[in-house]
Amino acid sequence: MSALAHLIEQRGIATTTIGLIRVHMERIRPPRGLWVPFELGRPLGEPGDAAFQRRVVLAALALLERNDGPVILEDYAEEAPGRLPQDDWRPAVTLPSVAIPGANASADEWAAALRAEWAPVLSAASGRPRSTVGGGRLDRDRWPELLAAFAADTPPTDSPVAGLRPVQAARYVADDLKALYTEAAIAPGERPSSRQVLDWFWNTTVAAALLRRGRAACLASDNKVLGLVANQFVPADRV
Amino acid sequence: MARLEDLMPAMAERIRGMECPVYPSSPFVVGGKLSSRRVAIVSSAGIHRRGEKPMMPGTNEFRELPQSLPSGDIVMTHVSSNYDRTGFQRDLNTVYPVDRLRELAQDGVVGAMSDTHYAVMGANDPGQWDALTDQLTDRLRKDSIDAVLFSPV
Repeated sequence: MSALAHLIEQRGIATTTIGLIRVHMERIRPPRGLWVPFELGRPLGEPGDAAFQRRVVLAALALLERNDGPVILEDYAEEAPGRLPQDDWRPAVTLPSVAIPGANASADEWAAALRAEWAPVLSAASGRPRSTVGGGRLDRDRWPELLAAFAADTPPTDSPVAGLRPVQAARYVADDLKALYTEAAIAPGERPSSRQVLDWFWNTTVAAALLRRGRAACLASDNKVLGLVANQFVPADRV
Repeated sequence: MARLEDLMPAMAERIRGMECPVYPSSPFVVGGKLSSRRVAIVSSAGIHRRGEKPMMPGTNEFRELPQSLPSGDIVMTHVSSNYDRTGFQRDLNTVYPVDRLRELAQDGVVGAMSDTHYAVMGANDPGQWDALTDQLTDRLRKDSIDAVLFSPV
């Protein structure tokens, strides 16, 4: 982001950049930078808090009126309170007890396990006012079989999504599956920390086990592309 | 997910050590008061309109985000899974502060908001961004933009 700001400014348009990684801003030296002490993925800091976000945006925009550059790098002092856990938070869905398939489970067994688990997730998700699910462009009914094929080490040869390799299609469906679950887990008005929500997903669900198993199978494959893409099924700190 | 200093040490070290471009010059465009500026947002979160192809790694492109695009029509296909997305799921403005900028324009703090904002894939190699930057700058100029707010993930 800092690099693109530099390149745009070089072409004559003023820029101001919010940044999450201060050391990168120090190296790239965008014309005007505001480092924010928020978690990665939350440059405005606090979901659902318009006043908080407005303060961050104003601090970044205020740098546009400064003439003491080139290279202004300021630190934003206010912490985002939502980084801390919500004491009484519970996921808004109660999952049925479904056994995680074993090491040699078939694709059918994995797909069945996911379908057995996700009914309450689908129900809760349908009640949310907004969804970010859909980047994978694959009908939800086809997700279990696609992901299960990778978990069972029987990746498909034909892609269900035009223009993508099968593993690329699975990679975006994996993101959709994660979003489906985490959106369902947070009832409107609740403010759990990201760690609380992700602990629930990665530590308790068959869906997470399916993604981990798919990633592991692809990494063990001789096909390096499979491993490279499927590595993103699971964040590095949840492997 | 977490702040950089809260990540597993190996992961934090890998992010800290990522190669960054070093530029020989330091451009700095001076402009007027914020209340006279026309501002666009550029997000590097790999967000785009639902139904479009994903933001693929290595494709140095930008996507247009009309300011009127409903929040429920925006998805994220950034290549990395190593940052929080639950904030984005709860509130688009956690990543892409379009509603905050609109309010600031309505309040007269900012002169005007662009009709179109933009998104790129921030994980791509900035060394390959010259053509992308030329095209994006062209679009910004056509829309009379004189200030850009960059937002990362």
